[in-house]
This record gives sequence, structure tokens and C-alpha cells, in this order.
Amino acid sequence: MADKITLFVNGVEVEVESGKNLIDAVAAAGIEIPHLCYHPALGADGNCRMCLVGIEDGRPPLVPACKTPAQAGMKVLLDAAHIKKIQHDVMEFELINHPIDCPICDQAGECKLQDYYMTYHGQPSRMTVPQVQKDKKLDFGCGVVHDQERCVTCGRCVRFCRQITKTGELGIVNRSDQARVTIFPGRPLNNRYALNVVDLCPVGAMTSRDFRFQQRVWFLKKSPGICHGCSKGCNIVIDHHREKYADDRIYRFRPRHNPQVNGYFICDEGRLSYKRENEGRLTAARLGGQPVALADALAACHDELQRTEKVVVLLSPNLSLEQMLAAREWAARHGATLSGYSDGYLKPGDGDGYLIQDDKSANRAGLLLLGIDCRRETFLAALAEAELLINCDNELERSIPAEELQPLLKGTRTILATSHDSPSASTAEIAVPVASFSEYDGAVVNCDGILQYFRKAVGKNEPLPDMADFIAALDGTAADRAGLFTALAALIPALAGQSADTVPAQGLKLNENEAAHVSA
Amino acid sequence: MSALDILMVVVRVAFSAFIPLCFIAVCVWMERRGAGFFQDRSGPNRANIFGFRAAGLVQNLADAAKLIFKEDVTSGHIKHKFYFVLAPLIVFFTAVVSFAVVPFADTLVLGGKSYLMQGIPLDLGILWFLSFVGFSVYGIILAGWSSTNKYGVLGGLRSAAQVISYEIPMGLAIVSLLVVYGTIHLNEIAQFQGQLLFGFIPMWGAVLQPLGMVIFIVAAFAETNRTPFDLAEGESELVAGFHVEYSAMKFAVFFMGEYVALFVSSAMIVTLFFGGYQVPFLSTATLINNAKPVAFLLMIAVPVAMHYFAGWIRRSNVSHYPRENDPRVFEAEIYIKCFWGLVIFLEVVLLLILFADKGGPAAHIFVMLLQMATFLVKITMMIFVYIWVRWTLPRFRYDQLQRLGWQTLLPLALLNIFVTSAVVVALS
Amino acid sequence: MGATVKTLPRKGASLKERLYLIEIVKGMATTFGHFFRNLLDNRRLYVRHYPEVQPEIPVRWRGRHRLTTHEDGSVKCVACFMCQTNCPANCIQITAGERLDGRTEKMPVKFTIDLLECIYCGYCVEACPLDAIRMDTGIFSVTGDKRSSFVLELSDLLASKGAFAEEDYKKGGA
Repeated sequence: MADKITLFVNGVEVEVESGKNLIDAVAAAGIEIPHLCYHPALGADGNCRMCLVGIEDGRPPLVPACKTPAQAGMKVLLDAAHIKKIQHDVMEFELINHPIDCPICDQAGECKLQDYYMTYHGQPSRMTVPQVQKDKKLDFGCGVVHDQERCVTCGRCVRFCRQITKTGELGIVNRSDQARVTIFPGRPLNNRYALNVVDLCPVGAMTSRDFRFQQRVWFLKKSPGICHGCSKGCNIVIDHHREKYADDRIYRFRPRHNPQVNGYFICDEGRLSYKRENEGRLTAARLGGQPVALADALAACHDELQRTEKVVVLLSPNLSLEQMLAAREWAARHGATLSGYSDGYLKPGDGDGYLIQDDKSANRAGLLLLGIDCRRETFLAALAEAELLINCDNELERSIPAEELQPLLKGTRTILATSHDSPSASTAEIAVPVASFSEYDGAVVNCDGILQYFRKAVGKNEPLPDMADFIAALDGTAADRAGLFTALAALIPALAGQSADTVPAQGLKLNENEAAHVSA
Repeated sequence: MSALDILMVVVRVAFSAFIPLCFIAVCVWMERRGAGFFQDRSGPNRANIFGFRAAGLVQNLADAAKLIFKEDVTSGHIKHKFYFVLAPLIVFFTAVVSFAVVPFADTLVLGGKSYLMQGIPLDLGILWFLSFVGFSVYGIILAGWSSTNKYGVLGGLRSAAQVISYEIPMGLAIVSLLVVYGTIHLNEIAQFQGQLLFGFIPMWGAVLQPLGMVIFIVAAFAETNRTPFDLAEGESELVAGFHVEYSAMKFAVFFMGEYVALFVSSAMIVTLFFGGYQVPFLSTATLINNAKPVAFLLMIAVPVAMHYFAGWIRRSNVSHYPRENDPRVFEAEIYIKCFWGLVIFLEVVLLLILFADKGGPAAHIFVMLLQMATFLVKITMMIFVYIWVRWTLPRFRYDQLQRLGWQTLLPLALLNIFVTSAVVVALS
Repeated sequence: MGATVKTLPRKGASLKERLYLIEIVKGMATTFGHFFRNLLDNRRLYVRHYPEVQPEIPVRWRGRHRLTTHEDGSVKCVACFMCQTNCPANCIQITAGERLDGRTEKMPVKFTIDLLECIYCGYCVEACPLDAIRMDTGIFSVTGDKRSSFVLELSDLLASKGAFAEEDYKKGGA
């Protein structure tokens, strides 16, 4: 923890952390200093001049807040007349050549320029000369669309490509009102984090081709979530909206700041993985490939379990800890073999050491934490003997090719509980639709041993049962979520005394000892 | 029983059965157009057959067609379907039957035999009327109860309480009337009113019993469930009250029953207080003796009246917006020609009277027809009063209604009996 | 500042009024006056002989909606969703898409107004930054035989023309 220092903003005493610049320091105290080019992940550039503040006594009278470290006893002026004039004039300057594209601009509603115009300027333009025309709708690659007219040349995107991805595709060319952000001829954006420039851009100059014109941002409900694309468990904002007469639908994922996990960014693959939440879902239960009511399918599961002795339960490494625990308890009660075999989720060499990981499942660490056997041999041995395979959303064909899988499953009936439709959902004797990760609460442990709790974001018109519900329904009961969390807290010392609401937003770091303790 | 006897039975029954039913159409038409005119609008006047609107009467046909062909819904929750269907029939039946004892002309003497001119020649008179009017409310209560609907039940209960409250003043008003007339027989009551008081004022109930008249009319409004006493329907709080579950023809039977009751009630008020079938100042005997001069006067009066009536039709029956070859002008001419045809027919009939024997059967029949016409005109005027009140007065609140019945009308009726009895005893 | 209090005399307390019959007669005289006047001369009824005589629609009347077009017939709307956002009845549904005619980048692919839900408040017209939606068709009566006939599509909205001259509409303070 950094030391606390005291300074004055507009004559009011404020206690802030030392070692930060003025913008970040007073922002923590709830005071906003307007800025366009500064971003905590990219550092101060000082080119927009929007954050100019006055310092009383001594010092230069005007300093850019992004470049000025907070110091004890500093007397910062924010609402003095000359500071207001500066903010007003900077805004006017920024808006000289800014087109009034708001009606067609996807940024409208979350645009800094709009917000600052309303707060600091609010005047009609005084310009009589025509605006400078630049290029619009430029394809920068990686699904980034650039509009040079809207750009305020803050350089955040340029710095992102230089500092974070270290690919340096973008640059600012020309000077003064002809300055524009562009790519080198024939070398478009080519990195796996390129779409972060869309979030970074304070205005609508960078837009995503994927989200382009899909929805106005003020309609979107912004729910926090955890990306299930890989074992990093990046924090995201799930932007979803239920249109009239339609179902709740996710429009985009955006990164959510978590210094312990992903910082400010997410990868493009994870960002676009929202599509999998909307499309290709299994919505109706199937019995022998034919759609039936959910209750009928569950009754069929029940009958099936009455008949069979040897059962194998296969878990997906994407399930939450509660769901895994529910399955573990069920398997223990019924003497079923439990397996977490999912080698197909690993993509060796795909990880880049930054955010993207080799393991494309969200909770493999959770499987290990709960001591669930993930070995191929044990799974195949159990399968060979089993009469019934209860597959909890594990995409087995990723681990074993279909032609090899078929002989293995001969003589074994399959109950598949899955969130997504797949060929195996049609071939399984019983297929039950379950909720996907945006539709339930749960805890996952990422590759670094950080336990994160996420909440249900999307409320479908016809909610599907979550996996814990399905497992409880096999016994004809309802899932006891609070009980599952308590059981989890009993297993994991770090969770002791916590409730679902008190798990820190940044996640809980589990240490080696704890992991070892649980698997026993 | 001679052929004449049978004919007279047919005529009397036909009159007392069909005239109320025919008047349903007239009542509905008067109500709607009257409401329109009271409120400065025109009322229904668009429905037509080949462009003939008959001043809006065709609308009744359209409504009838609609009600007949509408789906007759009986909701599934109604358990007592028999009573549910029975209820409107009770209302309708009692209304029609209660007219049976109302005389529509003086006793007709033909061939030395006298015929009582009323549907059923009973001596029960006013008691018959009271009993059937009291019975009709059972239809309403039954409808409200069998609807299994809280609005319906509330409407039925209100109606029951209202009838109890208003039958008493009505009965007491009639008591004082009977003290004056000395009979319950309606024909004798009507004959009594043919006399003249002090030689120039008709001895009508309205003159002899002004307070009784007010009480009776108020109670009659309440009995017929008309505004300002239509709390059983009470749209503003009970949706439609007792007939909320009724649709199509079942509703139509209620609707018709109400208008028949309106007609009968008017007939009763006219009989008791406005001289019944008596032509003012001209008693039956006078008329029979002076049939020829009266017929002659009518022969002159009818065309003159028709002339002005034709002018009114011509003025009223035009399109009120620029229109080429206005078809309504043509329509008006047709109506006027029809009416003139009717007038000519009347003139011929009157001419026959002029040439008939003095004091013979022709004179008797002429007087009977004249009295029937007088009676119907009086009833129509009374119905107009009903409509007029409906479109003027707002509905009572329920406590106001009960207070009026028990605390005002009842003491007044009792007072009226004492005063009347005292005067009658003093005079005799 | 206290409100100005004006005490009105309570009516209905005097004996004459409590007798009620006199007041009834007075009231009935009033209504009969109207009846008699209208019976004698039905030209004086306060009625419009609709549909033969159509009402005169003022410029500021909020009638059925339409989408305006540029001179070349292309839609002015850029699918900014301002009308949908402002619509208190939530009756406007827009789907935006890429515009390729060079005028701008965005246009509505679908634009539906459910007239059964519309409350004709005119907020969409006020919200529109481009004067692309107007309620100046002068259509005040919309009829249909099924629900879907009240759902106006983009083509329906573009098909109807304004009922007023441009300068009159502007003067009307749209």
C-alpha cells in the first residue's frame, strides 16, 4: 500500500495515494480531471492539453495533470475561471474539425468528446471556414474501422501498438490539422489484441466492424463477467440487451480492469467469443435425437439411472467450481466414476505469455483443485466398462476424433448436458440443454490460481437449468446453491468465511498449499 | 259466443300484446334521437335501406340484425344455466303481461253487449299491475345471482333493495288514489277522470292528487330502473350491473323488457293521473253524441297539421353539406307523399263517419279509435318525459336513493293518505 | 407565498334547492330548450357530417408518420435511434445497416412503427436530428383488418407524402 498524502483541490482537502499522477490520484477520490490522451496503461503523453490544471503558489501556474505527480500540500485549481476558459477553449479547438457524426457514430453515448462538450463547452461552433476533409471508413484490419475525421490525434492507439503489443502498426502522419492516424501502406493491423484500440479510442475514430451499427450503446446493459475463452479468465463487461419481442442477446464483450488478472485489455478471440453465447445453442431437450420437453428428458434420465449400474460422469473444464463440486458429490453418492478428461481443450504453443493461454478452458485449475482425475487412461478404462456416460458439457470430440470415439462409445448410452448444439447432441440418447457461463453464477480458478466469482449476466426469456440444477434433477431434487458455496468454502481455506457477495472483485489468490490441501 | 265476441277478443289481445312490442322500436328510436337532440348532436341517422333512413328508425333494424346474429355467449363459470336463461324471460314476460289490465278505450257497446277494452277483462286492475311489476325485479335479482359475477350480484342486490324502498311509497300513493277514486278497477278510474271539476277542469288524478302523482312518478322511475335510479346497471361502478354477463339475444330480451316496462309504466301513469284514454274535456258519452262534429273538425285539422308537418320534414330531411342532387330531398318527398296518403285514408274514414248513423256502432267504433289514439299519444308524451329526465338528471348515489325513498317519499305518502282521507270524509 | 383562496358559496342548502323538484324543473327546462331548438331546425346541431365533410387538418397536427427523403428519393434517416430512444410507447424498432450510396455511412435496414402502440406524442419528430421523420401526412384515421396492417414498414413510411407545403410546415414550428 502506498503512502497517503494530503493535497487540496479547489481549496478542499483531499487525501490521495502518493506516487501517482494528479489525474489518477484525485480520480480515486472521485474528482474527475478531463483528459483525452492519458490512459493509465499507456502512460502520459501530454498532447491533448485537456488536463491542464492550475497550481497555486510557486511552480508553473499551469501544468498538465497527467504529467504532474501528486505531492503533499499541492493546491490544485480545477474550477478557477482561467482553468475553465482553458478547458472550454481546448474543447472548441478539438471540435473545429470534428464532424457531427454522432447520429451515425457507434461511440455516441460513451464518447469522451460528447461528455466533455456537454460539461465544459456546450456552445455552437464559431467556425466559418469549411472543415478539413479526411478519409472515413478505413479498414485497418483485424476488424478495426478508422475514421480520420473523428480522430482527436490523442495517440492512444499508436502507443498501444508500440507499447503493449509491440507491433507498431499505427502511426500519426502529417502535422497540425492534417495530422491523421494511419497504417503503413499494405501493412494493416496484425496482432491478437488489435480490437483494444476501439476501447482505448476516447472518440469514435476507432470502431469495431463486428459491433458496427449493431446497437446503440445506451440500450446495452453492462454486466460484469469472466471470459471463458481460455484459462486466463480475463475480466469482461458483458454488454447485452433484450430487444422488444426478442430474447436477451449479447452484443459485445469489453475488457474490465483487473490488475491481478488481465489489466485493461483482452484478446480479440475472447472479445469475439460472445457470438458463441448467442448462436449454436441447444435450446430444447432431445430424446433419441427428437426434441422433447425438458421435464420429459429429465424423467428419461431418471429411468436410465434406475436401469444402470456402472456410470461414468465426464466433466467439462469450463464448469464452475460449484457445478464440479455438485457432480463430485453426486458421483460419490452413486458410486460413479468421475473424470475430467479434456486434453482436447489444450492448444500447445498458442499462448503468448501475455494474456492468451494454451489451455482453452476456464477452470482446469478447478478440476485439479477438486482432485478430479483428468487422465486419458483412467477415463478410457472407465468408459470401456461403463453402461452409461453422463457428459457434463465436455466436448469429447475435441479430445478424441469422432471415428475413434464411435467404437469407444459402443455399448455405452450417453446423457449429454450441453449448452451448445453439436453432432454429439444429436447422437446422444438424451441431450439436455443447460445454461452457458453468461447465464449463471459461479466461481472459476484461472491458470495463475486466482479464484474469481462471476454473476449471471444474461436473463433469457426461457432460462435453461444450470449444470448444478441438472445434476440435482438427476436425483429429482433442486440445486442448493448456497449449500454448494458453503461446501466449497469448507474445502478451500481462502474462501473460509466468505460468501458469494464478499469474494473480492479482483479475485482471490490461492496458494500452492491450499491447492494441495483440497485435492487430498 | 258469437263471431263478434271472438273478434273482439282477438282485437283486444292483439292490442295489448303487440302495441307494447311495437313501441319498443319507437322507444329506442325516441331515446336515441332524443338523447342526440338534448345533447346538440344528431343521434343515429345513417342506417338506411336504399337510401331511406326513416329518420333513424332503420337503425333499429340494424341493431336487431346485429343482436340476432351475435354470438350468444354463456360463460363457462355459470353453473345455473337454466336460471341464467330464465332471468331475462321473467323481466320481459312480466312487463308484457302487466299491460293486460290497462284499458285503452272506454267500454265498447256493440250490438247491445259491452266489451271491456283491455287485454284480459279482469277486475284486479291496479293490483295486477303492482304484483307483476314487483315480480319483474326477481328477473333482475336472478340474473345478478346466476351470473356468478360480483358486478352482477351487486347490481341484483341494489335492485332488490331499491324495489323494497320504492314499492312502499308507490303502494301508499296508490292507496290515497284509491281513496279518491273508490275503486281498483282501472277502467272505472279512467271513467272517473272523464268528469269535469267545477265544470271546466278535467278531474284527472294529477289535479286531485298532485302529491300522489309526484310520489308515484318518482317511484315508477325507480321501478323501471331508469335514470336517475338505474343503480342496478350503474356503468360507472358496476360495468353493466345485473346484465354484465348477458350477450346477444339474451341481452336483447332484457333490453326489450326494459322498454316494455317503460311503456307499461307510462301507460299506468297516464291511466292513474292523466285521464287514461279520455280525450280532455270530452267524455265518452259526449263524444258518442257529437261524433259527427268531432269528425268534421278532425277532417279540417288533420290536413292543416299535415301541411306544417310536411314543411318540417322538408326542412329537416336534407343533407347539411353541399351535395349535388341531394338524395335526401327526394327521400323527403317520398315521406311526404306517404304521409299525405295516410291523411287521405283518414279523411275517407272520417267521411264515412260523417255519413253514418248518429249514435250507431260506427260512432262507437270511431270514439274507441279516437280514445285509443289519445291514449297512445299520452303514453308517448309520458315516455318522452322519461327520456327527458334520463338525459337531464345525473344518477343518484346509493345512500341518496335510499334516503329519498325512506325519509322523504314514505312520510310524504303517509301524509298524503291522511290529508286525502280527511278531505274525502269531510266532503262526503 | 400562499395560494389565493376563493371561497365559493356552497349550493344546495336553501329550502328551494332542497325541495329538489324546482331545480329539476329548471334543469329540464334547459335541456328541453336544446331539444326543441334542435327538433325545429336540425341544421344547428353541433356535428360535423363526417366522412362527407372532412375536418381541416392544421399543419401542426400529429398525424401518421412518414420518413422524409432527399431529392433523389433516398431515405434521410441515418438510423441514429434517437426516435426509438425517445419513444415513450416503445413503438419504434430500427435495424441499422451499412449505407453504400455515399451520402453517409449508416441507414435503416428495417424501420417499423407499430401504430397500435404509438401514442402520437411527436417526440420522435422532435428528437430527429435530421428532420427524417415527420407526422405531417395529415392521416388522422388509420384502419386495418389485422394487427399486422398497423405495423408500418420502411417502405410504407417512405411511400406517404407530406400533406402540407414545405414553408407552411416549417412555419408550423415543427
